[in-house]
Amino acid sequence: MSTSTISLDHVVAWLARFRELVTEQQSYLTELDSAIGDADHGANMVRGMNAVVEKVGAAPATAADELLKSVGMTLVTSVGGAAGPLYGTLFLRMGVSAGPVAELDGAAFGAALRAGLDGVVARGKAEAGDKTMFDAINPALDAWDAAVAGGADIAAAASAALAAAEKGRDSTEPLVARKGRASYLGERSTGHLDPGATSSTLLFQALADTVTS
Amino acid sequence: MIGIVVVSHSPALAQAAVDLALEMVGETPPAIAIAAGAGEGITGTDAVKVAQAIDEVASGDGVLVFMDLGSAVLSGTMATEFMTTSDEVRLTDAPFVEGLIAAVVLANAGAALDDVDREARAAMGAKQSQLSDREDGASVPENTAVDSSPDVIPSSVASAAITVEETLINPDGLHSRPAAAIVQALAGIDATATIADVTTGKGPVRANSLIGIMSLGAKKNDVVAFSATGAAAQQAIDMLVTMTREGFGELAS
Repeated sequence: MSTSTISLDHVVAWLARFRELVTEQQSYLTELDSAIGDADHGANMVRGMNAVVEKVGAAPATAADELLKSVGMTLVTSVGGAAGPLYGTLFLRMGVSAGPVAELDGAAFGAALRAGLDGVVARGKAEAGDKTMFDAINPALDAWDAAVAGGADIAAAASAALAAAEKGRDSTEPLVARKGRASYLGERSTGHLDPGATSSTLLFQALADTVTS
Repeated sequence: MIGIVVVSHSPALAQAAVDLALEMVGETPPAIAIAAGAGEGITGTDAVKVAQAIDEVASGDGVLVFMDLGSAVLSGTMATEFMTTSDEVRLTDAPFVEGLIAAVVLANAGAALDDVDREARAAMGAKQSQLSDREDGASVPENTAVDSSPDVIPSSVASAAITVEETLINPDGLHSRPAAAIVQALAGIDATATIADVTTGKGPVRANSLIGIMSLGAKKNDVVAFSATGAAAQQAIDMLVTMTREGFGELAS
């Protein structure tokens, strides 16, 4: 499928696929989090995305902002851990940026994700190299923007973003955590992938799966 | 009176901290709301619940929010975007247990948001002072000592202060309960009072500061100096002397 826009159906399918991926990888995410955190990231993300899919299924949205804000609020109230306010902020700000539209082109979708990431940064005060979800999402958005600017379709942009997210995620392994519970471990946090960067990469995998299937 | 919100990953932790703080005050404590746990017994925090708690205790005088760590802080900051009150809301970086106790006592005495926040943030001082004593005899923490406090007493006024010295006779000296009693008792009196431990040379500290008083670490048989200025200085001194001679109600009957 070669598409040039992302519809509300795409967004709903993206969320459902993200739920599947975090469910499949729940124990892996928890294992990563038990190494450097409080071992709840897998369970928290699954609980949050189950709530999101249920919410989105119960009341189909007619506009992107409404849909994305509903996703954000559901994550805030259901996740429990730091991922709640962080992923919640990501989707809330995406909604604000997207506005009351029924579909987004590549540039608008990229801008929405960028607004979401800016919100996450403002919330968590994370910078590049702090061993956080930022380290996966930021390069993914750079790759997305570059692909879209170069005339790529949505599928190609999503594929480029996923590759960059994976590379960013892997770059967190040797880093010393400077944010969140992992930061209490200091040097002992090295040698492990960051759980947030790992779940964020699944977000881009879900997107790639959704727009290319 | 300000409102207080306690944000924790654990409802049990939050409730226990609140219960501990409420032991320090009487029948009509300040409004305190807990926002803890992520529902259904899950450890975590929820920004929407925090916002609801803030709205619940806001009554025009401001709200002070205590958080344990991690997502509690993220949820606290996010809650300020969801709340509906127009009260000033302060997220404090005060220590969770010590700060909450100090804040409840001072809030109960009718102090303003700024003062309660400052007192709560200084709350580590008492412990630091107690522990550092063993090695270097460090004096009371700066932020509760009168010299650096915003309501520092000018020397010209201080020279006109009424000062008396009394010996502590209750078994445990100026620990938390007598300290809270002093803060409460002074709340309605138009005077600025300080306390110093003459025996150890510590202080003076502001007598309306729970943490300041506790940081003196004044023990039984220590001689303490009460000093007061202001319209009702004599009343304040008389009361402090009476409380001290009654052993703060802690003498075996």
